[in-house]
Amino acid sequence: MEVVDIRPVLAPTLSFICAGLIFMTGRKAFWRRFWSLSAALLKLGVVMSMLPGTMNGTVYVFKLMDFTPGIGLGFRVDALGMFFAVVSSTLWIFTTIYAIGYMEPEHAKVRFFGFFALCVSTTVGIAFAENLLTLFLFYESLTIVTYPLVIHEETPEAFKAGRKYLTYTLIGGALVLIGTVIMYQTSGTLTLSQPGVLTLADGTRTLTVLFVTLIAGFGVKAAIMPLHGWLPSAMVAPTPVSALLHAVAVVKAGAFGVLRVIYNVFGVELLRQMDLTTWLAWLAAFTILTASFVALFQDNFKRRLAYSTVSQLSYIILGACLLTPMAATAAIAHIANQAFAKITMFFVAGAIQRTTGKTSIHELAGIGYRMPFTMGAFTVAALSFVGVPLFAGFVTKWYLSLGALEAGAWWFVIVMIASALLNAAYFLPIVYLAYFKAPPGTRLHIEEARPTLLVPTIVCALYVIMLGTTAEVPGMPFSLARAAVRFVFGM
Amino acid sequence: MDSQLTASILPPAAFLLPILGAIVVVPMTRSSERMRAIGLTLVCLATVGVAVGFIPGVLDGKIYETYLLRLTPRIWMYMRVDAMGALFALTASVLWTLALIYSTGYMADEHRKSRYYAFFMLCLGWTMGVAYAGNLLTFLVFYELFSILTYPLVVHEETPEAMAAGTKYIIYILIGGSLVLLAIVFTFFLAGDQTLSSHGLLSMDMGKGQLLAIFWCFIAGFGVKAALVPLHGWVPDAHPAAPAPFSTVLSGVMVAAGSFGIMRVVFNVFGVDLLGQLNVMRYLQYIAAFTVIFAAILAINQDNLKRRLAYSTISQMGYVALGVSLLGEQATIGALVHITNHAFMKGTLFLCAGLLIKHAGIHRISEMRGIAKRMPVTMAAFAVAALAMIGTPPLSGFVSKWYLGLGMLDVEQPVYLVVLLGGALLAAVYLLPIVYIAYFKEPVQTAGTKEMESGGREAPLSMLGPAVAAAVLTAVLGLAASAPGMPLSLARLAAETVFH
Repeated sequence: MEVVDIRPVLAPTLSFICAGLIFMTGRKAFWRRFWSLSAALLKLGVVMSMLPGTMNGTVYVFKLMDFTPGIGLGFRVDALGMFFAVVSSTLWIFTTIYAIGYMEPEHAKVRFFGFFALCVSTTVGIAFAENLLTLFLFYESLTIVTYPLVIHEETPEAFKAGRKYLTYTLIGGALVLIGTVIMYQTSGTLTLSQPGVLTLADGTRTLTVLFVTLIAGFGVKAAIMPLHGWLPSAMVAPTPVSALLHAVAVVKAGAFGVLRVIYNVFGVELLRQMDLTTWLAWLAAFTILTASFVALFQDNFKRRLAYSTVSQLSYIILGACLLTPMAATAAIAHIANQAFAKITMFFVAGAIQRTTGKTSIHELAGIGYRMPFTMGAFTVAALSFVGVPLFAGFVTKWYLSLGALEAGAWWFVIVMIASALLNAAYFLPIVYLAYFKAPPGTRLHIEEARPTLLVPTIVCALYVIMLGTTAEVPGMPFSLARAAVRFVFGM
Repeated sequence: MDSQLTASILPPAAFLLPILGAIVVVPMTRSSERMRAIGLTLVCLATVGVAVGFIPGVLDGKIYETYLLRLTPRIWMYMRVDAMGALFALTASVLWTLALIYSTGYMADEHRKSRYYAFFMLCLGWTMGVAYAGNLLTFLVFYELFSILTYPLVVHEETPEAMAAGTKYIIYILIGGSLVLLAIVFTFFLAGDQTLSSHGLLSMDMGKGQLLAIFWCFIAGFGVKAALVPLHGWVPDAHPAAPAPFSTVLSGVMVAAGSFGIMRVVFNVFGVDLLGQLNVMRYLQYIAAFTVIFAAILAINQDNLKRRLAYSTISQMGYVALGVSLLGEQATIGALVHITNHAFMKGTLFLCAGLLIKHAGIHRISEMRGIAKRMPVTMAAFAVAALAMIGTPPLSGFVSKWYLGLGMLDVEQPVYLVVLLGGALLAAVYLLPIVYIAYFKEPVQTAGTKEMESGGREAPLSMLGPAVAAAVLTAVLGLAASAPGMPLSLARLAAETVFH
């Protein structure tokens, strides 16, 4: 049931207004914090107010304007979009609190928090976009408003990373635009409200070109190899920005775009007939394993996390490519599962850096005796990535494996399991260093990060456990994922 | 036999109690060793109480069950107490209680005690969960948690050897766990979410190739934990490196958990009939028989006492696997009851080995000359357990071997009697010389031993008590084997449910 409602457009607008207010009054720390938190809380409030409706099958729509007939800005809240919005706006609150604590000694805070709030705004726009054009506009805006955050340090290294980031993502954006045009030309519509709008009658070659173009466009942000190069470089940015890139917004926007292309532009049925996703599934499997191998050899803490993100994102792509309900559930649920676990890890990396100045893994020996709560949170996230039951990552691993069997592709189960072992190989040594490699005589001497850094870290770690144990509770992200899958597969 | 299902809230208590012990009692009693010892002992005894509490009902044919929480859609965390699980839980909780009391003495001058006790209790909780798991996913949850979160106990000493053993342990266990996961995913895909009932979840029409793949994934996965040769590599390293009370439960219960997993797979996932049709158990028999003999031969040459005992564990777990793989009722009874009997026999031996290490500074068998004169009670307990291990009537080891032997004749495979007796003979070869050296060789003053420096002859009661108790249990399990309510009755019931 579709209901016209102002809230889908209100969610990005409110954050947008708050961003403006930050630019105007942000010189004062109080107002900067006030508006930042307001942006995050208001957005969460608006999103959450629509959650019960979405769970009951209500779809909120709002048509903002038409540029030319049939092409315009429109918003639509379905289960998949809602899922993304809930995850990113929940994480946003924690990231904002963390950023307030983390950025204390930094320069140019007005710019930072202003663009930070703009990111929130555009991310919800991506989640709620009704058509590919709206999606493209917000996708492109996200690239642009993130740039000042990536280069925040203004070191030569940061500028270099920023250039790399822009080059990759703008080319990706251009590909999405080309894809949008081809889609309009082929089908005469840009809507994302159907489980697929294209048909076999549109011509195999056109469809193949369109698929490759759109996947390559969104694949840049989703860091599918070989398009992942910007992500490890961008880790020079301050930690809250890394959290934003890796968990909350940017990479997730790419993955979300891929999901939209597969489920709403092409549709499962058509892709099955055309057998277009097999190569992408293999590419995703390659990315999962290769990125994990590379991660094994990184000594810089954030760099290892970055390669882990590259690997984890391809779980989402792989799940989407298998085109079965269970794999799709896993793909969507992994947006949340990866986000909460990875943000916990980045928060930990940042907290350690701010508290002790350590950025390399080999320096972390014995840190568990100094920052036990922080490292406890890291351990939870690491176990989640390894896929230990009761943690969020297990839900993905379980459903993705079942989905692969459903698709008759048992070799992807082996990939999943190999990847879980690789995750163990590059995350557990960090835990091991922290707790078991303490220099002799180390005693428990707690010197924790400040509360603004510690509390979001611990809350996110608790979320990881909650996501792993409460998948069945209505209103939790998992139930939204299932609602989305029911729609996509027409169940 | 029909079994009645009874809803009960008690099965979760069995694993929640130890977990509460770990996260509440340990932090609260940081300042007082005494309070911690009392508190944790009470928690352990309460767990034993829960485990014992199920026994009368289970023997009456009741099955207690609890739906715990809905983990993912369509899959419940589901606890179910049947005869097999009740037996394993009982064994685990009793041995754990003895090891815990022993720890209070053994660990007194060790470092990082809070970590040790917390993980020790958690580990008991996960083990109880494994015992009472009612479906595959619940089993997997507890099995993985208990495998991975054991690491801090393996490396507790933090010596280079312990760290190396720990790394080896975690690599073996993670790969084994992955294989188990692979098999469980496959099973779940074919059979859906089903209770571990006695009829098996899979059926022949699912395709022979797939069934075989699942079977070998399961066996390889659990075989790592159950130390089937050639997957046993972590066992001889982990045991000497870990503190003695943890070696005790590692050998007595945790390795056995792998065998328990194999039993669940054979009897509850595949079912006896299906495995009969698949005709794969022959190979498992070969592996198990080889394990029995090979590990026993390796044990003979070990001079490190705990290492020799570790090889003995591998050999003895081979008996369990052999008993299971024969697919006969008597052999199954033998295998089930051997898990329990072995737990207390090997428990006694490791607790005594710990006494020698802590109290006399003895790690090697060659240093044990004449030690019986100084520590007569310790060595008497050791001798009892050694004799039981060899299978001397009327001690407990005899009972399980008797049933295993009957089972071999029952399924007309008398050739394995050679393995059974050969293993027993080799056990005599690797255990009796220790007793002999301790009693009949003259002590030699060497620089390495803490000769007489600790004053008293025997170790304090907190350590000696559990060792003696375990030895007494070993004797009781043999003498009173057929009394009602003893492990044997549970094993018979379990075998009966599986085979009828």
